[in-house]
Amino acid sequence: MYILSMKKVFLILTMMMVAFIAPSTAYASSEGEGGELKIKETIFHHLGDGYGWEVPFSHHHRIPLPVIVKDYNGDWHCFSSSRVTNGETYEGFYISHGEEYNGKIVGKDASGKVYRPLDFSITKNVFALWISVVVVLMCVLSVARWHRRNGSKAPRKGLGAIESLISFIYDGVIKSTLKDKAPRFAPYLLTVFFFIFGMNLLGLIVIFPGGANLTGNIAVTLVLAILTFIMTNLYGTKTYWKEIFWPDVPMWLKCPIPIMQVIEVFGMFTKPAALTVRLFANMMGGHMIVIVLTMLIFIFAPMGAAVTGATTVVSVGFSIFMLLIDVLVSFIQAYVFTMLSTIFISLAQEEHHEGHE
Amino acid sequence: MELFTPEFGLIFWMFTSFAILFFVLAKWGWPVIIKGIDERADLIDKGVEYAQNAKEQLDHAREEAEKYIAEARRQQADMLRDADKMKTQIIEEAREAAQKEAKKVMEAAKQSIEQSRKEAEQNFRDEVSAFALDIAGKVVRNQLADEKAQKQLVNTLLDEIENKN
Repeated sequence: MYILSMKKVFLILTMMMVAFIAPSTAYASSEGEGGELKIKETIFHHLGDGYGWEVPFSHHHRIPLPVIVKDYNGDWHCFSSSRVTNGETYEGFYISHGEEYNGKIVGKDASGKVYRPLDFSITKNVFALWISVVVVLMCVLSVARWHRRNGSKAPRKGLGAIESLISFIYDGVIKSTLKDKAPRFAPYLLTVFFFIFGMNLLGLIVIFPGGANLTGNIAVTLVLAILTFIMTNLYGTKTYWKEIFWPDVPMWLKCPIPIMQVIEVFGMFTKPAALTVRLFANMMGGHMIVIVLTMLIFIFAPMGAAVTGATTVVSVGFSIFMLLIDVLVSFIQAYVFTMLSTIFISLAQEEHHEGHE
Repeated sequence: MELFTPEFGLIFWMFTSFAILFFVLAKWGWPVIIKGIDERADLIDKGVEYAQNAKEQLDHAREEAEKYIAEARRQQADMLRDADKMKTQIIEEAREAAQKEAKKVMEAAKQSIEQSRKEAEQNFRDEVSAFALDIAGKVVRNQLADEKAQKQLVNTLLDEIENKN
């Protein structure tokens, strides 16, 4: 009885948090100088990266994060992001607004020209990345520790859930596709799955440890896709390379004009590109829908209390629904990325060609 | 669009983070877990196999036991039958022996009766012959006297005998 009521209380509190925090942060950031709405800016602000991490209920206070930049002279500068978040200039650097590098740290060189320094700042996304790494490490290493200590006993509860997820991916995706080569690629593919899954889920949490639109950032998905590209081609067999540069097709398709070669090489690069865009677009789309639904409240705000109230209920309801869908999408996209990576790697592992005439 | 232009800083950090994560997990995480899961699967397979064998053996043992029980039943029935046979045989033998004994006794009795009869006959004969001789003696003695007297004598003798009997 007690536990049940605690669960209910927790559920209600969570709903209230979502209902209050999402609009309030959005409202805080959407209030421009004149108090008017800057909807597009707000949406992109929430989808993008940032120096400093937003806290609920306040737009002016942020969790400061280190800014690391290299100026045009080749000198390194390292300072807290709290020195520049509110439009100040520090050591010649400030956050650009509405210029070429909107929202990024920029500086002015000797001639007064705005330039973008080499930026290794620990931004919100980088910090979220580290949190994800820590979370994934803790989850996986705790299961590993269990296995090291308890031999072949099965873990229960949380550890059991993580372990069954691991064996779901390992047996269902990696082993069934790569067969006897599974142990060689399993560490990479499992790391990819759990990293993406962790980042996706953390991105759905509205407040501090989460909320960064990490897998909805093209840089993150690009790196993951490039890694799969490297794994595919680095371990590619002779048959794989032969298929690309001398495939089994009529001679006129490959000899004087290398049509097939061009297509195959193009195909090598479209695979990681598809991986990049799929994960990026799906996760960004999910975040965008939730923020747009929340923004509806403020779009309808000038129409009076009744309309605003109705919109709030509907929007919050839909936001929760979309967030729940996003939990599913988080899993599906991590799964799809892993599965496609596995398939691409396994395609490059073909040992003999059946089509010999 | 800033959303579609990857930031170099983030790419760098992403790559570093992933490399660290991959290195740590590939060294201390995945191999241990995969080995553990595989070992457990093997253990479970072995357990199932063992259980199946045990069940088979149990079934076999049950069959064997049933066979033994049937055998025992059969033996019991045989023994009962044998006992029955033996019983009738003994009774038969006893009867035969009794009959033989009875026959023997009867025979002896017959013999002794025969003997007694013979003895009695002999006695009778002796007695009759003695009477006859007596009578004859008396007849011979009175023969010469008178015919009338003779007749009277014979009648007297016959009366005597008649009376005697």
